[in-house]
Order: sequence, then C-alpha cells, then structure tokens
Amino acid sequence: MSSNKLKLISLLALPAALIYGAAVSAEEMVMIPQGSVTPFFLKKDSVDSNAASKVKVDAFWIDAAPVTNREFQAFVSQHPDWHPTNIKKIFSDAHYLDHWKNTQGADGTASLDTPNPDAPVVNVSWFAAASYCEAQDKRLPSTDEWEYTLNDNERDKENLQKQIISWYSVPNRAPLAVKGQPANGFGVFDLAGLIWEWTADFNSYMAPPDSRNSGDKTQFCGSGSLSASNLDDYAAFMRYSYRESLKGSFTGKNLGFRCAKDAK
Amino acid sequence: MKTTLKHKLLLSLILACSYPAFADNHEHHHHPQQAAVAAPSTDSVFNITDNWTAANGSSFQLSALGGKPTVIAMVYTSCQYVCPLTVQNIKRIERSLSVAQAANTNFALFSLDPERAPPAKLAEFAKLHNITNPSWTLAQGNAGPIRKLAVTLGVKYKKVESGDYEHDATIFILDKDGVVKYQADAMSKNMNGASDALKALLK
Repeated sequence: MSSNKLKLISLLALPAALIYGAAVSAEEMVMIPQGSVTPFFLKKDSVDSNAASKVKVDAFWIDAAPVTNREFQAFVSQHPDWHPTNIKKIFSDAHYLDHWKNTQGADGTASLDTPNPDAPVVNVSWFAAASYCEAQDKRLPSTDEWEYTLNDNERDKENLQKQIISWYSVPNRAPLAVKGQPANGFGVFDLAGLIWEWTADFNSYMAPPDSRNSGDKTQFCGSGSLSASNLDDYAAFMRYSYRESLKGSFTGKNLGFRCAKDAK
Repeated sequence: MKTTLKHKLLLSLILACSYPAFADNHEHHHHPQQAAVAAPSTDSVFNITDNWTAANGSSFQLSALGGKPTVIAMVYTSCQYVCPLTVQNIKRIERSLSVAQAANTNFALFSLDPERAPPAKLAEFAKLHNITNPSWTLAQGNAGPIRKLAVTLGVKYKKVESGDYEHDATIFILDKDGVVKYQADAMSKNMNGASDALKALLK
C-alpha cells in the first residue's frame, strides 16, 4: 500500500520536474526554491528539537549536472595554474586528474580509464573545484544546499535512499556520462549514482556528541554538541562521514563536483 | 520486517565501508608517491592569493607574512572561551621568546566570521586582549578566503544557529616560507612544543 502510494506520488511529481526544469539558465543551472533541510548531525540541546533541527536554505542556482571532463578541460586550458604539471602541491595530491594521463606515473602501468568528455570530471581537489566555480563566477554549493537538492522535498524518499545505498555498496567504476538517468523533482541530474561531490564547507564541524570529552580536543566555541538527527539514514551517514574524512587536497576516482550560485 | 530492512542496510553499510564506492586516492597507503616529501616552496600557504583586511584597515595577502616565522590561528572574535584561551596561549609562546626573537616573529589571528568582524571589531578585540605589539596581525576576510585558509590549514568549523562558530582550536607555526611546521592544541596549558618549534625556526 505504502509503496503504491509512493509510486503514485512520484508520478504526480513528474510534472513538477518539468516545471522546475523550466527554470534553467543558459549555463544549465537550475533554480532551487528556498526551503529547509535537516542535516545529519545536529545540535543536541536545541530548545525545540523539531524546529531547530531544520536549517533554512535560501533560494539558489545549482548546475543541473556535475562538471564534465570537457568543461574542466576548457577551464584548465584557460587557467594553466590548474594544469596537472603546474598545480601547486598544497592544492592537490599527486593524483590530480590521473584519469587524463596516459600512464599512472611512478609505477608506469597504463591507466584503464578513458576520459569520456561527457563524464563528470573526477580526481579533482577541493581547491581545483572551488577555483573552477570561481572562474565561472559561481561557487561550490554548501553541504546544506547540496543535501537539500538531493532531498528533493522528500519526493520518493524511500526509493531514493535504497538507490543510494545500493550505489554506495558497489565498487568504483569510471563514471558514465552525465544525465544518463532522469532528473529529480528540481530538474537536477546525477546527485547519486555517478560520483561523490565536493561541497564548499565539507570541512564543517560534524563531530559526534562525545568528542567534547575526547582527550586533547576541546574544539567548541559555540555552545552545544552535535548528534545524529536520523540514525536510520545510513546513506546520509555515509555522505557526512565521507566528507568528514576528506582534506582539501584530496582527490578521488569518484569524487567530482558541480557549482552553485546565489539566487540574489 | 523493519528489522530485516535495517539489517540489509547495515550490511550494505558494512560492505560499502570495506568496498567503498567512495574510495578516494588516499586508500593507497603504499603508493610510492605518498612517501615523497613535498618541496617546501610548493607547500606554502602563501600560494593562496586572497586579500585580507587588517585591523588598521589595510589590505594584505598571506605572503606579507613571509620572511619571518609566523604563529597563526583562526579565531572567532565574538567567542567567549576558546578564542581568548587561544590568544593567551599565543602570548605564552611570545613570552617564551627573547625580545629579538619576538621581533622576528609574526603573530596572526584570522577571523572565522566574515560578518561580525569588521576592522573596527578586530581593533576592539586587540584592545580587549591587550595586543599592542606590531608583530601581531588581526585579519578579516570574505567567506570564500576564510574557507580556503581553513581548508588549507585543516581547521574545521561550522556556523551554528546562534551565529556562533564551532571550530577546531589549533595554533599553527609557519616557517618564513609559509610552510606549516608545527601544530599545537590551543586548549593545552603547555606551549613548550610550539615554543621549541618556533625557536628552532628562529635559529
């Protein structure tokens, strides 16, 4: 019954996708209307836990699809500082754009990845991603914005979570071209299924509640500690812990990005 | 029924953790390139070219801190507890130096808050904490440069509803080329390690 209901809801949501899809700019950005999102780790001691657990997100533009190899190639040719041979070590590890190279470097084995120009660019550090967006007069989306876009006003939530979990449990593959799967209700493609994405504030403080007492780390300035809002949401848990594990110079074979912009 | 689903999810989680779709390039602990130590000149935070505003209103880039070692921390000027302690600890490091050594060191505080730290506020903060030595720089910047510096240094922070910030409290010691040489827990009562690291750079 409830699954039928969900199907019905997702059918009803399709026209909404078309409506939102209409708000697409020349650079293929989609306007995301303002709303609120419940981040995975939250303040524990909020007065009204329900209201306080939601974070308001202002309207913003977001790229309809992740940035592709083609697009990033154009950026690199215009900004030689971000060419693999020139990039400063502080801005990326040694695997920057590995999939663009013919060989894997030191060990000399040939790369199996053929860069598909329409696949999301991967093996990019946070610094490279942030610079790309800046060069387009955009910025990286905040974690709240990204999660809000994925959340899709809870449209077909259960299916989305299942789909995400099943994707998370398969090994790495070279990502396929963008827009191979239908867009979500906002008209945004490939938030799950192809790559993981950088967010502007991936290094937000997202500690578990007991960290306040953990030895040498007393890192709290604002009041309160953080705790998980929805322990059932393993998919969210994995995204937040993945982000937590990253450093700005890290790259990953399945880690790319898309840009966002204030709605103004 | 629900339990079964939960177990399934948990299993997926375990599988995913051991066999992750989100593997980054840092799983390869044995990668030969990871053993290589980066040349200091390319590791410098001075590669960041964003503009900052000092408490006196002047504009500068991080490279302006070059030529001398720098003791640096990111703070939140409206905060009640952690940041004053950070400042106290940096002063403790400063006091451990000879007059000549202190004159040869930069001390820099960068505000985490792009909204609540105009230069006047920085000057007020300096006054409150009795920071008068010209070796000190208090700096304020836009949200982008703040995030970039924090990511570079590995400082995690988050703005919470009250407008306050939760953040790592770490004191960094940079060499004259802007390379991070030492990190100290800003909440520790013992700054000897930081002090020794700094003195080694001043030799």
